[in-house]
Amino acid sequence: MKVTLVMKPATKSFIPIEAESIVPKNFLAGTDLSVWRGNRELRLDEVFSISVEGDADRVEDVEVVLSGDTSRLKRVGEYMDGGKITILGGIGMHCGNFMSDGTIEVHGNADGWLGREMAGGTIICRGDAADYCASGYRGGRKGMTGGTVEVFGRAGDFLAESIAAGTVIVHGDAGDMAGAEMHGGTLVVHGNCSRPAANMKSGSCYVFGTAQGMLPTFRKVGTIQHEGRTLIQFTGDIANRGKGNLFVKDYKYLD
Amino acid sequence: MSELLVKNACVIDPLRGINAETMDIAIRDGRIVEEVSGAAEVIDARGMLTMPGGVDSHTHICGTKVNFGRYMSPEDMRAGRTPRRGPMHATSGYSVPTTYGNSYRYSVMGYTTLLEGAMAPLEARHTHEEFIYTPLQDTMANTLFDGNWAIMEAIRDGDTKRVAAIIAWTLRAVKGFGVKLTNPGGTEAWQWGKNVSCIRDPVPYFEVTPAEIIRSIVEANELLHLPHSVHLHCNNLGTPGNYTCTLGSFGLIPDLNPKRQTLYATHVQYHAYGGSGWKDFCSKSEPIANFVNMRPQIVIDMGQVMFGRTTTMTADGPMEFNLYRLHHDKWSNHDVELETGSGIIPVVYRRKNLVNSIMWAIGLELALLTKSPWQCLLTTDNPNGAPFVKYPEIIALLMSKRYRDAEFATVHPDTGSRVPLPAIERELDWYEIAVMTRAGQAKALGIQEIGKGHLGPGAYADVAVYPIRIDDVDPSVDYQKVIEAFGQTEYTIKRGRVVARRGECVVDGSNATFWVKPRVSEAYDMGKDPDFIEKFDRYYTVRMRNYPVQEEYLNRNRCIETEAEI
Ligand SMILES: [Zn+2]
Repeated sequence: MKVTLVMKPATKSFIPIEAESIVPKNFLAGTDLSVWRGNRELRLDEVFSISVEGDADRVEDVEVVLSGDTSRLKRVGEYMDGGKITILGGIGMHCGNFMSDGTIEVHGNADGWLGREMAGGTIICRGDAADYCASGYRGGRKGMTGGTVEVFGRAGDFLAESIAAGTVIVHGDAGDMAGAEMHGGTLVVHGNCSRPAANMKSGSCYVFGTAQGMLPTFRKVGTIQHEGRTLIQFTGDIANRGKGNLFVKDYKYLD
Repeated sequence: MSELLVKNACVIDPLRGINAETMDIAIRDGRIVEEVSGAAEVIDARGMLTMPGGVDSHTHICGTKVNFGRYMSPEDMRAGRTPRRGPMHATSGYSVPTTYGNSYRYSVMGYTTLLEGAMAPLEARHTHEEFIYTPLQDTMANTLFDGNWAIMEAIRDGDTKRVAAIIAWTLRAVKGFGVKLTNPGGTEAWQWGKNVSCIRDPVPYFEVTPAEIIRSIVEANELLHLPHSVHLHCNNLGTPGNYTCTLGSFGLIPDLNPKRQTLYATHVQYHAYGGSGWKDFCSKSEPIANFVNMRPQIVIDMGQVMFGRTTTMTADGPMEFNLYRLHHDKWSNHDVELETGSGIIPVVYRRKNLVNSIMWAIGLELALLTKSPWQCLLTTDNPNGAPFVKYPEIIALLMSKRYRDAEFATVHPDTGSRVPLPAIERELDWYEIAVMTRAGQAKALGIQEIGKGHLGPGAYADVAVYPIRIDDVDPSVDYQKVIEAFGQTEYTIKRGRVVARRGECVVDGSNATFWVKPRVSEAYDMGKDPDFIEKFDRYYTVRMRNYPVQEEYLNRNRCIETEAEI
């Protein structure tokens, strides 16, 4: 079953829409769903032109395709447990919160908190991801606990903050504090980033570009060969027991 | 004139010796009266268990430390959200809810009076402001004197009357109710990066010992004729083997007051530990309870631990630092100049953890081994041992050996060799529970004379009607029904109005704050004492005239005046 949701042009398009109902599972029972714009509850068909092709009994057979200006659409795919969501443009904050299975593919850019506290499944972002991509949330101890997030553009600050398990790959640069409070899992940044893996307790962080503002509390161990690259290996943050591993192609301390 | 008649109630009112008598309760203009006119509104309680409104004599619900617990734990704020409904505001938080969250949840459980366990005098305004937004309970604040510089100087000089005078001035200034000592001397030592290990260690610079602080302030408290006794959080909280320190502290206390205890020792579970380290950690509830059984001048509260997530918060800064080093999670530390300090960390108590399992058992043992329920009151030191919403489960554990055994089967397997709990057969009855949750607490706080904790004519019309018929329910078997009944009243009546009904709060409410103004002679008025004024201006970062809390900070102002002996 393929559900296509085309965003209708709205006069006040700057008001975010809370759309946690847009999850493949919900469409097994039809399209009688609602979303919230500010404090107003709207039927799905007030916001989108909806078309449905075919039918499905299992969530794995449901694909939801979103198009139009979806950059203010929040919480799409929250608690998603299977199926596929394809977003042709950009997507608003908190896409894929807590998802446990299935696939989300974003062709444009993703706003903050993409895949926040996700437990499983796959998120692919073809454009850039904003701050707190694949991270934990305010005050929480564990961020991502499983699954994969792959960003082909750049990522903002606090990428994969508090990651406990799973894999995060960014092909471009990442911002400040990538992998902060990491206690498991794998983070790979192909470009540059700054202050990676601050206060890490476990897990592995790879920076294939330059680690700017490298924290002085990592101890250099030596060099290793990794997938055809020569990387410099550090132990985890000795400000916090020195567990885990940080690998960088190059690094610069603050002046 | 507004009148209310609660008919056919099955009343337990321990302060008047009433045990499960079917009677009517007449209410006029917020007070209990002998009878009301035929025009009174009638509530038919249909034989339901009816008691005075609950009184919590030690909880942390308002003030800077509580608020810090809120903002350092946004995950806790996400854990207990309720939307706006009728007159109820939206709430959030589980172990440290918003003020409305505290007020509604207590009210639904039948509580109408709360004592904030620790208010730093310098930060009293914050506590009073939050009291206003705790609208469904009357409130009081215990005021911290554990590291007060002026008092320690007076103790060093052996001048107990001056100690009393400083307490009198401060209580009046900050609109405080009682005297709280948290790890006496230890919070001052902590400002030097140190602690005191027990009652004989001198405090740096002041060279007074916790024992001297406790004894002197206990005497000063009685010179002032305060309604409540000194309220003590003993030294050395939470360390293996600390029960000897606790017994030593209790041994300092003479019997000075015929009406109530001379010492209220709080959250004694945390102070009843044996062993020389965590490896041989064990319960010492028996020697503690035996000691209390022989000393009517001492009342304790349980400080029961229940499994799950919560937040610990106390003025005991050094203890929280030790906890931080155990848990390696977030930690807040706070200094209150010239007075006290505080620390906060979130914790999870786990059944799989042997130490946590022993702690859980100790609280229950204290309640079951203390013969008189008037001497061991039901608390969790909310939220330190558990959020207060766990009280119904604790009541059920105390009333049912079968429930205790079922729970015991789920805790760490080595617990049995470290605690006496499995061998304790005692099951508390409804009357004893009423003592431990309202009558005993009101008596210990010294507020029964102003009409709290009982249903006699003239008392505040604070009534809790629980949806349970005690003749039909055997609490030792039907403990689940006990938990449900104490979790949600049929009616909670506060000052003559129904404020909560079957889990919904039905009015906005309006809180009253009780505070104490001891009347002292001119010679002991610290507001006119040149030495006190000079040191205040030299050491505090606030001016003395800006220090007192103005009466505008109190919603309904209930001042209790006492005649001091100084
Ligand atoms: Zn306390």
